[in-house]
Amino acid sequence: MHSAALPRPRRGREMSTVETALPEALRNGVRDLVLVLADSKRLLGMRYAEWMLGAPELEASIACSSMAQDEWGHARLLYALLRDFGEDVQHLEHGREAEDYRNIEALDRAPESWPGVVALNALVDTALTTQLDALRGSSYAPLRQRVGKLLEEERFHGAHAAAWIKRMARSGPQARAAMAAALQEVLPCVLRWFGPAAPRTSLAAAGVVDAEGDALRARFIERVRPLFEELGLTAVVPAPDFNGFDEARRRCTRTGPDAVTLARVRGDKNRAFLMD
Amino acid sequence: MVYEVFARKSRGEPLRHIGNLNAPDDDFARVYAYNTYDEEKWFDMWVVPRDRLVEVFNRGDGEAPESEARKDAQRGAAAATSGA
Repeated sequence: MHSAALPRPRRGREMSTVETALPEALRNGVRDLVLVLADSKRLLGMRYAEWMLGAPELEASIACSSMAQDEWGHARLLYALLRDFGEDVQHLEHGREAEDYRNIEALDRAPESWPGVVALNALVDTALTTQLDALRGSSYAPLRQRVGKLLEEERFHGAHAAAWIKRMARSGPQARAAMAAALQEVLPCVLRWFGPAAPRTSLAAAGVVDAEGDALRARFIERVRPLFEELGLTAVVPAPDFNGFDEARRRCTRTGPDAVTLARVRGDKNRAFLMD
Repeated sequence: MVYEVFARKSRGEPLRHIGNLNAPDDDFARVYAYNTYDEEKWFDMWVVPRDRLVEVFNRGDGEAPESEARKDAQRGAAAATSGA
């Protein structure tokens, strides 16, 4: 679909020259989207990994480990795509300051409790997957060719969140309230992340995505609605506040992840061991 | 509840017992089975609550059928003992 908008590359290395041929605004839009996804997946993977030893049961720890591996693998693959846009991947992964990170803001700080992790699993993970899903038929071939495998690996992430939310909903008022509070804390940020009703640079018009802005947000809401209903939360979805929202970064604040997160995500302790 | 996990590499192959896990219900059992045993490329994977296995006969001295298989299971052994 819409493939006439972009020249379709044949294979492999030829892509980079094709991507250079993208109109400037579109090229930047695709680069921004890939970086937003890569940074968010890198940090989401870290949030899962932080619970590999602290989850409520052994199997949940294994699930966190498994989901962390998936997200890190996806982040690595997405960073690598940015080479075609002239980016230095080593620098992207290890050399940036906090304000350069474009992760969804809900990942800036580590959640303090298991319901907090489940909320990230339920909302942030699902938002990223909803965004990836919109790239299935992308006119941007490097993403289109890889997105099926990524989505296949995401298959059980949502099921993990849903199983935990159902369990908390049925295990007493305290757990139920904690889960509901955690979801409600993360939701506004995730709703805003999809951007304003119609973005300034439309990637949908060029067939890069098949939905954006309000349309994509609606898909996300449909996906997560059952989770809220499970907890008896049927209130109206709050309209996002886009005051100060930077469309390229998909963030309102420019401060980026906190210091502890930044040091870990960049691998500051292991700087001496980096290899080209 | 302990669930036994079965899988096979390709269509037509017999189902093989690959391990077990603890899960409170079928939904969790599905997720946990996938997360714990997804390292290999399986064609399909199944879980069944251990107490739904029906004994036909047993040449051991009342030994539960899963105990032999458990020796082979690479993971999930700790979970099975703690929850059984």
